[in-house]
Amino acid sequence: MSNFRRTVRQTMTVARRDFVATVFTPTFLIFLLAPLIMLGFGAIGGMGAASMADSSDKQVRIVAIADDADRDALIEADKRVRTVFRELDAPPPLRVDAPAGEGDAQARSLIDGDEIDVSAVMYGPLEKPTILYGPRGDRTGDYLATLASDVLRDRAAGSPGPMSSATKEPFERAGSSIGGRGQAAFFTVFGLFFLTLLLAGQAVGTMAEERSNKVIEILAAAVPLESVFLGKLIGMFGVALLFIAFWGGIALNFTTVLPADFAAAFAEIGPAVGLGTFALLFLVYFTMAYMLLGAVFLGIGAQASTPREIQMLSLPITIFQVAMFGLSAAAAGSPDSWFATFAEVFPFSSPFAMGAKAANDPALWPHFAALAWQLLWVAITVAIGARLFRRGVLQSAGPKFRWASLIGR
Amino acid sequence: MNEFCIGGRLTQEYALTASGLVKLYGGKRVVDGVDIAVPTGSVYGVLGPNGAGKTTTLRMLLGIIEPDEGSRELLGRTSPRDASDLVGYLPEERGLYPSMKAKEAIAFMGALRGLDWKTGRARAVELLEAAGLGHAADEKIRKLSKGMAQLVQLLGSVVHQPKFLVLDEPFSGLDPVNQERLEKLILAERDRGATVLFSTHVMAHAERLCDRLAIIAKGKRRFEGTVADARATLPYTAHYVPHFPNDDIAASLPADARREGDGWRFTMPEGGIEDLLLKLINAGYGISGLSIERPGLHDAFVRIVGEAALKEDAA
Repeated sequence: MSNFRRTVRQTMTVARRDFVATVFTPTFLIFLLAPLIMLGFGAIGGMGAASMADSSDKQVRIVAIADDADRDALIEADKRVRTVFRELDAPPPLRVDAPAGEGDAQARSLIDGDEIDVSAVMYGPLEKPTILYGPRGDRTGDYLATLASDVLRDRAAGSPGPMSSATKEPFERAGSSIGGRGQAAFFTVFGLFFLTLLLAGQAVGTMAEERSNKVIEILAAAVPLESVFLGKLIGMFGVALLFIAFWGGIALNFTTVLPADFAAAFAEIGPAVGLGTFALLFLVYFTMAYMLLGAVFLGIGAQASTPREIQMLSLPITIFQVAMFGLSAAAAGSPDSWFATFAEVFPFSSPFAMGAKAANDPALWPHFAALAWQLLWVAITVAIGARLFRRGVLQSAGPKFRWASLIGR
Repeated sequence: MNEFCIGGRLTQEYALTASGLVKLYGGKRVVDGVDIAVPTGSVYGVLGPNGAGKTTTLRMLLGIIEPDEGSRELLGRTSPRDASDLVGYLPEERGLYPSMKAKEAIAFMGALRGLDWKTGRARAVELLEAAGLGHAADEKIRKLSKGMAQLVQLLGSVVHQPKFLVLDEPFSGLDPVNQERLEKLILAERDRGATVLFSTHVMAHAERLCDRLAIIAKGKRRFEGTVADARATLPYTAHYVPHFPNDDIAASLPADARREGDGWRFTMPEGGIEDLLLKLINAGYGISGLSIERPGLHDAFVRIVGEAALKEDAA
């Protein structure tokens, strides 16, 4: 049997063991459902926060102190102008109070009172009103000023309401919009980051079992540690693919049951290279990111001899990952900047940044160049990681690495 | 080329040769120029006290760690790694995955050495039944006793029917019944045609099993040969019990004579014991008992290791 075939066989034996040992356990179910648990906690927290915000928002008002002559005009103008806002961005509801004595005193009485939370209050003649506003009421104050101006403009024109009658027709783009590509780029970086954080990070502790059970001696005697290293990486990559297939399948099925208008809201978000090519590139870049970071984590993790040391090592590793995410996210937001180029070239951010590039730029040739570059770094990282791994687990430098030994007979 | 009689067969081949192996840890030569030649089809013992460098030597022979100096040839390959599929190994520190079933653990170890999983599982069941552990085939390792788990690991080292079997301190941790089972297994492996190399510091096993052996102490090989050769490094001893004991008898005995029970033990005189016996009879001590014994491997080992320690201290 050639060395290459033997290496592949040994590597896959280790990979199979790790895959089976990881997947066929009850804890894997918890791991698989981790995003659901995270979403669940997020949803509960979000609902709580939204409920609190909603209950406090219900009490917030903008107030116009106006006589009967202006009251209906202000309410009409508010109805008209409010339509340009989305619900979340809309100013607080308008309340119109009849004047009762001094405008300033009445306004301050409302502000200091417990009946409502006043965001802004307007009093005085509409030609020159006074508007008092609170800490978050600057824009609502402007809104009250706009209402006053609209009422006066209507009166000057002699007819209330809009002066033009537009015909609105929805249009559909052939592809994604520039903003949509930017959003797709960010989602790509985030998706790759999230998956590598969740999945490649698992590699850090995979040597702990062998070290605590002394199995490493059996493995080291039968198989080159480079094969153990690669096998563990591939085994955990198999787990990662299973995870992605599971959630990818759910996500795909979920999109088929989405309401049409909901789906239309995402119509403009899409990658520049097309969805099929993008999906393929996403998978390839995830593989590269996993192999690059997984090899680093596994090599570093092999230096730890106790679970405590593994925990200690996890922090700088996570910081490194977050740094790569930050760099790539910034690159996704400014695709033509110098740091975008840096992120695309720097080996450990390259898969993330190039994933973002696939969303931003339709050109395909940079991806071939980037993949060749990343493959080279995967090979370098795996070779260095394996040496670190050998030193970590056997305290021995081992034989000089020979690429030829992998393919020779 | 040397010719050896191994298990009733003549062999001129070596399954393993190693020359001038050196391993440094922190600047200290823990293995210092060890030469080993293991004839094909033999049971070869590597003996030595604790910390002698036996395990480090075995790990170098198998290519688990690389020597700082020296060369090895295992089953005709200059890189031991290239022969890994033909080798079985039981390390000193036993290790198995606790969540694996016994037969899966054995099949896994076979798979690492190139045996397909299906054959591995089938052989695992056969081996477990032959070892009296058939009932444990589907038990997880964590549920087995320490001795049973050790046997499972041992079976894992032979499941792929290796040509060369290396056992590092295989008897430690086993009860006497399982020690006997292991001795039988080692001999069965030799009869199958495998070469067996094992390390131990229990002389009784080596005496019963080894065709040849090496004694390592303080990182150096101090002896190489058969058990008989080792025992021959010490002279015969005599145990003499006088019929009429007397306190003056010591003056008539050799200088190294020491009391042992009712009699005296001393090294056999170079010219034979006849003159001494005549002298004792004529002096009126008589002979109540006399036995002439070959020294055991234990005595030879103690002397060789003791001499090594003296040499080191002198150096």
